[in-house]
Amino acid sequence: MRTSSLRLIVLFAVILPLSSFLIASPIIAADSPQTETAWFDRRTLPALIASLVSIAAVLYAVWVIGRKKHLFIREIPGLKAVEEAVGRATEMGTAIVFTPGYGGDIQRPTTIASMNILSNVAEKTASYDCRLIYPTHDPVIMAVAQEVVKEGYIKAGYPDRYNPDDIFYISSSQFGYAAAVDGIISRTRPASVFLLGTFEAESLIMAETGNAIGAIQIAGTDSTIQLAFFIVACDYTLIGEELFAASGYLTNDRVILSTVKAQDILKLLIAVFVLVAVIWSTLNPSSDWWKF
Amino acid sequence: MNNQKIRWTIFASLFAVIVVSYIITLKWRIPTSPSVQKSYDLIESLPPSSMVIVSFDHEASSLPEIQPISYIILRHLFSRNQRVIGMSLFAEGTAIGYQTLNKLAAEYGKKYGEDYVFLGFKPQHISAILGMGESIRQVFPQDYLGNYLAEIPLMSGVENYRQIAAVISLADGDRTVQWIEYTGKKHGLTILGGFTAAMITTYDPYLSSGQLYSAVGGIVGAAEYEGILGLPGKANRALLSQTAAHIFIVLLVIAGNIAYFKRRKGGK
Amino acid sequence: MSSRIPLIVCLVAGLIMFLQYFSAHPVARAMFNQVNDWWQIIFAFTLFVGVAAFMNNSMRAIRRGKERPFKTVSLLALISMPLLAIIGGTKIGSPFLWTFDNLQAPMQATVFSLLAFFVASASFRGFRARNLQATILLVAALIVLLGRMPIMAYLSDTIPELTYWIQDYPSMAARRAILIGIGLGSMTTALRVILGLERTYLRGQ
Repeated sequence: MRTSSLRLIVLFAVILPLSSFLIASPIIAADSPQTETAWFDRRTLPALIASLVSIAAVLYAVWVIGRKKHLFIREIPGLKAVEEAVGRATEMGTAIVFTPGYGGDIQRPTTIASMNILSNVAEKTASYDCRLIYPTHDPVIMAVAQEVVKEGYIKAGYPDRYNPDDIFYISSSQFGYAAAVDGIISRTRPASVFLLGTFEAESLIMAETGNAIGAIQIAGTDSTIQLAFFIVACDYTLIGEELFAASGYLTNDRVILSTVKAQDILKLLIAVFVLVAVIWSTLNPSSDWWKF
Repeated sequence: MNNQKIRWTIFASLFAVIVVSYIITLKWRIPTSPSVQKSYDLIESLPPSSMVIVSFDHEASSLPEIQPISYIILRHLFSRNQRVIGMSLFAEGTAIGYQTLNKLAAEYGKKYGEDYVFLGFKPQHISAILGMGESIRQVFPQDYLGNYLAEIPLMSGVENYRQIAAVISLADGDRTVQWIEYTGKKHGLTILGGFTAAMITTYDPYLSSGQLYSAVGGIVGAAEYEGILGLPGKANRALLSQTAAHIFIVLLVIAGNIAYFKRRKGGK
Repeated sequence: MSSRIPLIVCLVAGLIMFLQYFSAHPVARAMFNQVNDWWQIIFAFTLFVGVAAFMNNSMRAIRRGKERPFKTVSLLALISMPLLAIIGGTKIGSPFLWTFDNLQAPMQATVFSLLAFFVASASFRGFRARNLQATILLVAALIVLLGRMPIMAYLSDTIPELTYWIQDYPSMAARRAILIGIGLGSMTTALRVILGLERTYLRGQ
């Protein structure tokens, strides 16, 4: 009962905001005047078109590309190194620290992507009997992570090795969380540290602490600035969208892999649009049809 | 020297550089960057008594860097007789915002409820930002002190973003991105930012696309603003130690490369 | 069936929130406000979950004698701040604000300031002219570092201009490309969840 009500809370906490992400990604609006009570707000027309094109691309990828025999996805070194990181921790008899960063709530797609990797890491730590420590700044992330890790241990066939106390909430304060994670890294001296999620200014503080104790570090975030810090301080860094592709890469799930292909289609469409707009505005500097 | 010793030597040297340079008081006028000038010009151009939301979207940790920005922007707003609605999207920003607003308002003899108000904190920032676009009163039925918004003179006639001239988000993270994404285009709000130096480059794409109107970044930005207003303060004082730290890091990079090439040569 | 219900809830809630964005009708607005209120209420409950779990975890650790000093300090802080707020209020001059200003703020600022030290050590270690690409990165970093120094405005016009150029063109182009990739990744992940293709957050069912 407790688990099911918790799952329902988590479900709502994920879905309601997530749908707003769907809108915010291609957020654009037209200049036409707003009709106060219209069922359709004309200012949102470009956003609607962009959203429909995106949805169509995803559905096309799932139904058409997903049926192809071979779905190629390039090698992602950071994800390939997961096995090595877990193996190293097992050999050394130390723990693994996995943390999702301060910037993400559970509704953030980056956090969901990080959960996919956590699921994979949990399966491996269960098989190797290696301790997995997961500190977080958000109670909902904690609840989801507990479920994900538990499931990973069950899948691996070692449910008895799962310890819910190792997946815990610390503080909703950015540097309270950063200080606590630093403390955990310094005291437990893990062989491997996973910094995957949305990170803000705490990224380098954690990554340098991990670097100082000589841990193998795999990082990934959607924050362009923190990526620079991770590249300097970590062994492997998943750059932006690589984090979102992780779920398909690790599980080899055809549906998820095909949505990764949809991203490529959309990226190509954006590139074509940008190219046309650049040529158009160069030839006709007064044009502004591409601005919305 | 092993890595740990090198690390500690770097830390100790940087600490010494910052402390020594901070002791020296040097008032200097630095050139104003276009973005800071744009922020200043916008506040100058607002008609008096315009409604401006100042959102304290940061935590206590970044106070030493954000406070000079919030002080100088609020001084400018109050000196231009603008009306300020304070709020926070961080629990910790609540205490900071409330104290900062009261302190600066007192400097300019402003009255709570008439010239400024502090709404407090709302969790789930996306929901709060979106909700205020519909009705500010629905998101904040009461202010920080428990007064109903309907009873506050400043808030009479303020329904949603349509009555707001600009939003100034003082952030140490990416909260301002949410202001931009969820209100900028949809509600046509003018958004200004005040950021820590570590975060300012995150906002460059939004600045260049015009989604973020302008930004005041870090100690340097605050010092530039202080310079325009002719009110040198905390930021101006910190400029020297920041410059010294920059020079120290440049020297470190050069030293690191010399050591690297020496080792490589030795290895060969 | 038990795994289908959450997926249906997910699809319906996701679609409603998606579609309401495109409508200015009072019904859509009212529905949006309603959902927003739920969202706030759900979040409030999750905080209880977090605090309860934190207390539970800390108490167990104290009983086991594991990291006792750290856990004791955390628990004391967790209990004392709300107590101070309840007893003395949160107005200016209250014990709560005094503790916030004189303990919490300086402690947090101290942790934040560690960033400067870590930037120094990471720069020393990371910026090495190992090959052509690394050398370009190193030169660009040095130009930006120098150009961002306030004193540089007195010494040279070229370096600050070059700094703005690097930030506005090559650096911006790279960041925009990454941002577009991230935006698309976020969107497809959101779609996967709403369409029920991504279920890890539901224990992978």
